[in-house]
Amino acid sequence: MARLTVNGRGVEVDVDPSTPLIYVLRNDLALNGPKLGCGRAQCGACTVHLDGQAIRSCQLPLGEAEGRQVTTLEGLGTPERPHPLQEAFLAEQAAQCGYCTNGMIMQGAALIQDQPGITEAEVLEGMRGNLCRCGTQPRVVRAVMSAARKGA
Amino acid sequence: MSASASLTRRGFGLGVVAAGLAIGFRLDAPARAAGEVTPMLLANPKLDTWVRVTPDGRVSVTTGRVELGQGVLTAMRQIAAHELDIDPAALEVLSADTAASPNEGFTAGSMSVRYGGEALGMACADLRATLLRVAAEAWGSEPGRLTVEGGVIHGADGRRMTYGDAASRVSLVRPVDTGARRKDPTKAGPIGASLPRTDLPAKVFGQQVFIHDLRPEGMLFGAVARPPGYAARLISFDEAAARAMPGVVEVVRDGSFLGVLARREEQAREAASRIAEAATWENGPPLFGGAGVFDYMKGVPAEEKVLHRTAGEAQGAVRLHRAEYRRGFQAHASIGASCALAQWEGGKLTVWSHCQGPFPLRTDLARALRVEEGSIRVIHAQGSGCYGHNGADDVALDAALLARAAGGRPVRVQWTHEEEMAWEPWSSAMIVRMEAGIGGDGTPTSWSHDVRSFSHNTRPGQPGAGGCNLRSAWYLENPVAPPVSTDAPLPAGAAARNAVPIYAGIPNQRISSHFLPEAPIRTSALRTLGGYFNALCGDLFIEELAALAGKDPVSYRLANLTDPRLAEVLHRAVRLSGWTPEAVRLAPALEPVMTGTGLGLSRYKNTDCYVAVVARVEVDTRSGEVRPLALWAAVDAGRVVNPDGLRNQVEGGMVQSTSWTLMEEGHWNAHRIVSDNYADYPILEFPGLPRIESAIVDRPDQPPLGAGEGSQAPTGAAIANAVLAATGRRVPEIPLTPERVRAALLA
Repeated sequence: MARLTVNGRGVEVDVDPSTPLIYVLRNDLALNGPKLGCGRAQCGACTVHLDGQAIRSCQLPLGEAEGRQVTTLEGLGTPERPHPLQEAFLAEQAAQCGYCTNGMIMQGAALIQDQPGITEAEVLEGMRGNLCRCGTQPRVVRAVMSAARKGA
Repeated sequence: MSASASLTRRGFGLGVVAAGLAIGFRLDAPARAAGEVTPMLLANPKLDTWVRVTPDGRVSVTTGRVELGQGVLTAMRQIAAHELDIDPAALEVLSADTAASPNEGFTAGSMSVRYGGEALGMACADLRATLLRVAAEAWGSEPGRLTVEGGVIHGADGRRMTYGDAASRVSLVRPVDTGARRKDPTKAGPIGASLPRTDLPAKVFGQQVFIHDLRPEGMLFGAVARPPGYAARLISFDEAAARAMPGVVEVVRDGSFLGVLARREEQAREAASRIAEAATWENGPPLFGGAGVFDYMKGVPAEEKVLHRTAGEAQGAVRLHRAEYRRGFQAHASIGASCALAQWEGGKLTVWSHCQGPFPLRTDLARALRVEEGSIRVIHAQGSGCYGHNGADDVALDAALLARAAGGRPVRVQWTHEEEMAWEPWSSAMIVRMEAGIGGDGTPTSWSHDVRSFSHNTRPGQPGAGGCNLRSAWYLENPVAPPVSTDAPLPAGAAARNAVPIYAGIPNQRISSHFLPEAPIRTSALRTLGGYFNALCGDLFIEELAALAGKDPVSYRLANLTDPRLAEVLHRAVRLSGWTPEAVRLAPALEPVMTGTGLGLSRYKNTDCYVAVVARVEVDTRSGEVRPLALWAAVDAGRVVNPDGLRNQVEGGMVQSTSWTLMEEGHWNAHRIVSDNYADYPILEFPGLPRIESAIVDRPDQPPLGAGEGSQAPTGAAIANAVLAATGRRVPEIPLTPERVRAALLA
């Protein structure tokens, strides 16, 4: 039985500790935020925060998340209390299909945390590992920059 | 309530409604002679298929178009709200479901707003006029004296009647009156406004959106054990060992189709992978007979056709210019692999699919499963962007085949990314040969364009004698082979899409194709089909002609254009970029880093939106690396339903095309594609992003033109022409990889 904290709530799951965290979050805990993409940490769609750091949940064994704080897109903000980057994504309409959106927001939120002065070049580099196939990257950059300026 | 019905209702908040019609039809060629709206309404004539008023007074519209991330459901909401004088947010908008929606074939080819939107708009105009007549009759008034605000009809004397009241007094079960008067689309209203996408909040807050997020009770996970090659046959496998793997509840073998059902997703994937590895397969002969693809394409028999010819004043060419351009295989490379959910209940199959055409998918599912179409229901639900015919249809058959062994439990199958890349249809490799006569003053006196290609459309539901375009059908004990592939005729075309030059002023045009119906690597539609490469080649070629004539690329193009709307977007893009065009210098001395500006211009399908793109690139002549610095675009798509949505499509296409043009090419071993992950098939990353700006040439008085795929070709052409402008040397093969650019510089 693995114990971890997900979006502020303690959870227990009876799953093999070698199981990649993404499957537990999605299929055992019914969370939709993290998306199963390449399964090799090449695309970033599965990004979650582990103790505040952006990590690829397709590569993290459940056992390594034990006793730690996992935050998913659902825990970052809600329609009632959105994270500034979620607001910025809506303001910039920074998505098309939306499959990569989870990773973009989770990576971006970690990137700009306490960095109101982050430069565009730093955002481009910091988002390197997150792929979008629809081509919404310019909008994503605008959203991340705008949320950073607002002190996300 | 059955599991499937409850899934339908709860799963997406989209639900289903209204009685539907299922009439097969083809939309390859726009039926312009019959009027642009009629194809959709001819196939789906009933008013209540498109729009209904619910007993509690809400207006509910149903489109056969599906959301692929392009914002189509938001656009449809705007079109309906505009006609009905109703708040867009008050409308219920439902999408494709073979049991309930209009059959609009495929959501593809930038045809949704132009055809589907016009049909829906017509139905809503009919509804509005009908309800006004009801109120007028009740009040002894004239419809022309009544107004509508927020779905409430107002009489001159202050009387009010809601749409709900009016609808309760009249039957809407009848054909759409195509003579109903449309609202003036140029009047302020929902059309023309940048309404925020209605599907984005759920995507931004991690709510249930995708099939991938469906978790009905009792669901099992399925996975397919893939052969080592496309032509491989399964000889034997250890079934007992497969059944003993962790979590496996069922093993399914049907011929060479082999798959598992497991309690957990990762268990299904792991088991399928291990079973495939341990099984004994017999591979087929090597792909392309072991030859390179371009040699193979030139060596096998082709169907040769002349597609378009024009006469012209006989003018003496003083010389000929020839070019051959090539492009390898390119992939859809969706971020989320294809996924489907299937459930059999009492001989009836329900499938949730993110395919582009639920009705055509149903046709091929019935052929593969050897059941009646009527026993299958396909409900569209969103998936990751597909960009054309990817694995979305195939995985639906995989889920259906595996669900047959699930004893009534629902089965979800999400392919792995590697599976998607290796087994989805790819965009065909292409060879384009061009030749032009050049007159004494540098003017083109003739133009020929020959395209050699495998198919760009092997979608399911092909009309005629059957056959099945769902991959796993080919591997069954009683296989259902794919139908013989054909090429679609112009003007839309498939392999030859956009092969007819936009430079209509050039005389003596000859457009031909060498179509290769049998593809060793399965090919089908990627956004624009052949349009990206044909238009790109046409624009590379005209740039070369301009350079040979010593003319600047803008004035040279303008001299050969006859359509003022093409000229207008060209001027606008050039102005936006601030570029002063000048003649390209051929073969100058190389400097370590050279910059250049190039132009791309096209009219998608020769019938849809006009797009011009200016690109500025930097070429590192030591490494051959091309760095796109900035792209500027101007688009004319006629009347624009949602300007921000159009910009999102145009700019997104520019990013996608930058990736295609500079980076993307598939590789294979003797038996299958091996570029099956993002390290081996990289796509554009954030740091490679050019600065992008776009301008819309607004034409509210002109009908809407398809605009979802208009920017890819001119972007590719602009980048390639910028490389020519920078270095004075042509690189005849896409993608413009450093090795290829370096080789061209040294040639």
